[in-house]
Amino acid sequence: MSVFKLDPDVYKRYKDQVLELCNSFQRIDRPGLSDKQIAERLGLDERTVTEIRCVAERDCYSLDEWEKAIEFKRKATLEWSALALKRPDLKPE
Amino acid sequence: MTREEQVKEVGRRAGARVVGIAAVEAFRAKVPEGYRPEDILPGARSVVVAGGDGPTAGAWRSPDHRVMEITGYDLRENVAVHAMCDFIETTLSYRAIQAPSLPVHGHEPPMSMMHAAELAGLGTRSLAAHIILNPEYGLLYYAALITTLPLEPDPPLAEPACPHPGCAAMYKRIGTTPCLRVCPACLAGKVNDGRIQESTYDREKCHSRAQTYGIGSFQKGLLQIVNEDDPARRRTMIYGDFFTKSLQSLGFFRDSIAQCFECMRVCPVGRKYRKLQ
Amino acid sequence: MSPLPPNATATLKSVALKSGALVCGVADAAVFAARAPEKQRPDDLLPGARSVVVVGGAQPREGDWAATSPWVLQTMGTTERIQGVGRRLAQYIESELGYYALYVPPGTASGDTPFLSLMLAAELAGLGSKSLAGPVLNREHGFMYWSAVITTAPFESDRLEAEPACPAPPCREMWEREGTTPCLKTCPSSEGGCLSGKLENGRAVRTFYDAARCNTRVHTHWVGGFQKVLEETLNEPDRDRRKMLLYGDFFTRSLWAITYSSTNIAQCFECMRVCPAAHGLKEMK
Repeated sequence: MSVFKLDPDVYKRYKDQVLELCNSFQRIDRPGLSDKQIAERLGLDERTVTEIRCVAERDCYSLDEWEKAIEFKRKATLEWSALALKRPDLKPE
Repeated sequence: MTREEQVKEVGRRAGARVVGIAAVEAFRAKVPEGYRPEDILPGARSVVVAGGDGPTAGAWRSPDHRVMEITGYDLRENVAVHAMCDFIETTLSYRAIQAPSLPVHGHEPPMSMMHAAELAGLGTRSLAAHIILNPEYGLLYYAALITTLPLEPDPPLAEPACPHPGCAAMYKRIGTTPCLRVCPACLAGKVNDGRIQESTYDREKCHSRAQTYGIGSFQKGLLQIVNEDDPARRRTMIYGDFFTKSLQSLGFFRDSIAQCFECMRVCPVGRKYRKLQ
Repeated sequence: MSPLPPNATATLKSVALKSGALVCGVADAAVFAARAPEKQRPDDLLPGARSVVVVGGAQPREGDWAATSPWVLQTMGTTERIQGVGRRLAQYIESELGYYALYVPPGTASGDTPFLSLMLAAELAGLGSKSLAGPVLNREHGFMYWSAVITTAPFESDRLEAEPACPAPPCREMWEREGTTPCLKTCPSSEGGCLSGKLENGRAVRTFYDAARCNTRVHTHWVGGFQKVLEETLNEPDRDRRKMLLYGDFFTRSLWAITYSSTNIAQCFECMRVCPAAHGLKEMK
């Protein structure tokens, strides 16, 4: 028996639904479902749902989003600094 | 001193900024089975929550975004939890455990510290990633303990900390608030009559910002590396800045716990504590 | 070399307890030679070593043992709390007494080999004795975490514990009845576990411990698991399956454990959970 490997076809079939039902996209008035609750809803076993969720959380956005994150923080920090510290020279291009 | 005051005093002396108490029954309404305090410690009666300070006022003022990425936590709220657990077990002879809060399956912890803080009257959910804001101090970091010691709980706050009156006024004027405006990628929401009417939060997008260099970026980087057939390109990926910083953040985890504060930087709640000389 | 001030050993122990240790003992560095392999003796780490000061404490709380969630002990470990005491003592010995002191690093020197066996040090410092399940148990406090300081200071050594905590009376009775004890029954090597042993006249006369198997339990999500998944990934020709491995639950959890290593150091406590000498020595509510 080797390391547990989720079947990619199962993953592709259910990943959007699992992401929708769990805590990935949160609404303040509605808690996300647990893996057990999602499993009951989708007719899967809990372990498979956990595995789908873990992969989907990581797979949700590509590495491009990480590049955007780096740039976002750089600019947002500078914009705030320019305004709050009264340093217009810091304003990003 | 009452028992509640004794426990809280131990926590505050150990470094907590605030300490609150919730009854375990309060978790049943919104927490699924398996994630409640009584599922974790049989016979649990109370949850004591400690809130610790976030970045210093000086760190908030740095125009270099990398400072806040690695300014680190001193984990003082966890120290306070340990001090209170020790006191409860050794002096009062009731069982006490540090509530498990690290993610154990993907992004999921065994128990929500945010929800515990809400129920213990230490803060309310905000438009900004639903971060729990303490009305006095704003952003605090939370840790909790679960105990068989029966304690009188503190009530959840009657008045929400968010939206701040300034933000409610801003929303009325221009249809947005400081946090929603600075980070529309992760946040969306509506304010009506000075209250949050709607609020959504894209946690996975936020993860790329709050944990730019970490476990997730390591996994993504590694997958790219193993899928790259060209050895020269593989080499540049392995030794490049992004993968190197990802590994560093694993090694120096205390310094890299949270790496994006932009929604909190513009938040007025607790800001008076950031105005120094 | 100036002599130690009078009562130096007692004062040292007092400092240790005030710093947060539950117990403090001293072993003569020379006695390690008979039991410790080469390169894992005090003198290998600090030439001229005379004593090894050992502190114990920071063990899981009664609540931790009673918790039904396995994540409590696995992710909220308290080992680190005793390590700070060890460091402080090393600094105390050097700054107050003027002797060399080396805080024994708690990690591994290479592979899975420690710099110095903290368990052996605890035994030789009279703080406990080896149990059937492996961990050193203290008669009064049960299962504890250890930290050690090697020093050139000639502190007074403590004697070995005369009466071992293991096997505890309920375990001896169980052996008479069923031919096993709680720890051996929970994790029997005959059924894919880590332990086996034999008692005679209330004493352990044979023990067996499968360290490699125990490693998969104590360090389920750790360096070894990471290496295994990485190897499997590199050997996997299908790119989609590679993603399933690297983004999956096991690898993600292993990375969390490696990152937050200080509280994820030990991930299986089942032999100790059932041990009547390891905890539960105080009445709790």
